Amino acid sequence: MSLRSGVATFAGRSSYWFLHTFLHGGSSLPGKITLKLDPQILRSLGAKYDVIVITGTNGKTLTTALTVSVLHEKYPTILTNPTGSNMEQGIVTTFLNAKRPKSGRPLAVLEVDEANVIKVTQYIQPKAFVFTNIFRDQMDRYGEIYTTYQKILDGVALAPNATIIANGDSPIFNSKQLPNPIQYYGFDDQPDRDFKAKPNTDGVLCPNCQHILHYHTLTYSNQGKYFCPNCGFKRPELTYRLTKLGQQTPTSSQFDIDGHSFQITVGGTYNIYNALAAYAVGRFMGVAPEQITHAFTANEQVFGRQEVIDVNGKRVTIILVKNPVGLDQVLHMIGTDTQPFSFVGLLNANYADGIDTSWIWDGDFEQLADSNIPTFITGGERYKDITFRLKVAGVPDSKHIVEPNLEKVVDRIQEVPTDRVYVLATYTAMLQLRKILASKGFIKEGLGV
Amino acid sequence: MTYELNVAHLYGDLMNTYGDVGNILALNYYAKQMDVHLNVQVVSLEEDFHAADYDLAFFGGGQDFEQTIVAKDIQTKKAELIKFIESGGPLLAICGGYQLLGHYYIGADGEKLPGIGALDHYTLAQDHNRFIGDIVIKNQETGETYHGFENHQGRTFIGKGERPLGNVVSGKGNNGEDGTEGAIYKNVYCSYFHGPILTRNGDIAKHLLVAALKRKFPHDDFSQQEALPIPATF
Repeated sequence: MSLRSGVATFAGRSSYWFLHTFLHGGSSLPGKITLKLDPQILRSLGAKYDVIVITGTNGKTLTTALTVSVLHEKYPTILTNPTGSNMEQGIVTTFLNAKRPKSGRPLAVLEVDEANVIKVTQYIQPKAFVFTNIFRDQMDRYGEIYTTYQKILDGVALAPNATIIANGDSPIFNSKQLPNPIQYYGFDDQPDRDFKAKPNTDGVLCPNCQHILHYHTLTYSNQGKYFCPNCGFKRPELTYRLTKLGQQTPTSSQFDIDGHSFQITVGGTYNIYNALAAYAVGRFMGVAPEQITHAFTANEQVFGRQEVIDVNGKRVTIILVKNPVGLDQVLHMIGTDTQPFSFVGLLNANYADGIDTSWIWDGDFEQLADSNIPTFITGGERYKDITFRLKVAGVPDSKHIVEPNLEKVVDRIQEVPTDRVYVLATYTAMLQLRKILASKGFIKEGLGV
Repeated sequence: MTYELNVAHLYGDLMNTYGDVGNILALNYYAKQMDVHLNVQVVSLEEDFHAADYDLAFFGGGQDFEQTIVAKDIQTKKAELIKFIESGGPLLAICGGYQLLGHYYIGADGEKLPGIGALDHYTLAQDHNRFIGDIVIKNQETGETYHGFENHQGRTFIGKGERPLGNVVSGKGNNGEDGTEGAIYKNVYCSYFHGPILTRNGDIAKHLLVAALKRKFPHDDFSQQEALPIPATF
């Protein structure tokens, strides 16, 4: 380590210690200070590690947590970054915070924001990249799916020897020729048919000849066993295959990968993709399927995002929603609940939520309106938008409570006729709701997302 | 339902960014209240658009890559689209759809892409800037106020025979210069409003539906449909 890097590292570590001792946290400032003193600090900080970079639009956090669990079966020391710290500063802070490894080459499994992949590969040669998916996401800030993917590829171009472990069901990951070795994971549990994705789906143009892609099977959005009837472009051979899909509920999923049975304590097909990605990385790194089964069942806390809160006897599940595909999948997931439930939709449009609310029109609320939900509540700062969305979906006024004030939403939740309540909320709406729930004593902390 | 209208969703599988499908859903919502059933059909690449087959059309906005493909394909539909528009066919065009009805637009990489010239506007690019945010406009003729969200890189300048959809009260509008937003030509409504436009501005949905009904059933009385109250949703 150079003198400059040493000084920068010391300053960063000191500020981390100071922040965490006296000010209860801070995950980007130490990185910021360190980067200011030595912009190339990652070169020395990361030199000791084998690095796995996990990137994509949705599922980064859970895939990272699951991958760490899986790899822990074989590797005792793994460095990873906490939720949200997936930009350069947060990654630097993560390395600063690490205990210095005593011997051997430890692993670092890093969640990295799409545009920040290049900030890592400028200084570190990762062992592998994991690509989860690329969907439209908060269009007021990010670009289109193709520009997002290009940002990732700009970073990957600096690490041509790293193995890419990609979602094979997503056509975009098969659209560019890359020098890297590539392994694909995907779903392979259905007989082949021939159909197109539903009209309101992004990314269905064949990257070869620009015809509309067809599908043999489709999981959600534009993901599946795609093929182009015009030029023959098709899904690549899968290295890791989901061979059977078992029962799915909002709190559990059963499935087989490569013939091995797995169960995870979280619902949603999108989370099965996350598990599939973690499985793929595990196999790539030499973890046995039995060990992966163990990792999935022994580490239930990694699924902590779908927290269930007891609100005076109501079992309230709060789920963060932030983009169209995620929203649509969450709606689909809660639809798998066999017990009666009530629905709450909380919409804000602050910067952290995305200031454009148009994405709510891409969620299949129609399916929700058709099911037997007795009570719908809509609220939040943009309650008018979400209220009209439900009206258009066909929710009758007699079942629909409009309550902009979140404090009163918490009161209304206690009056619904079901024991179960699903709350879908945008980021700042969720923070506000949690604060209220904390002030009323239903949860301990106000900010733990 | 008493009435049926055939709706063409132009390139609905490619031009669907920013919840554009919400416009179809809102159109359907108001149509039901007017005793009208909508048959919506996606008309996409290498598929024919026959003006006589449709009573109403919607054309949304897409991502840059998709739009370059659509810009090529739409030339094969140019004659029929112009026939539809000139004969008073009601059409709603948003963002990329709006741009492609005009003479040309400048794509993300600076390339000039031709539209179909059905309307007399053209669209330039701006460097490293987008017009993003809430927008309010007022239509001078009807006195109606429209609320929406704009997010566009293109700067459009409207031409002969076009009136703006509204004058900008707050926000940027067509080009950030002349205080206009969107365009109206015959029964064609164009706008940069996402949001999507019809979900917050039911009056425009009503104008489109009533125009389509009057055109298809010239001898019927639609005063009841015209009187449908549109409560604010924004």
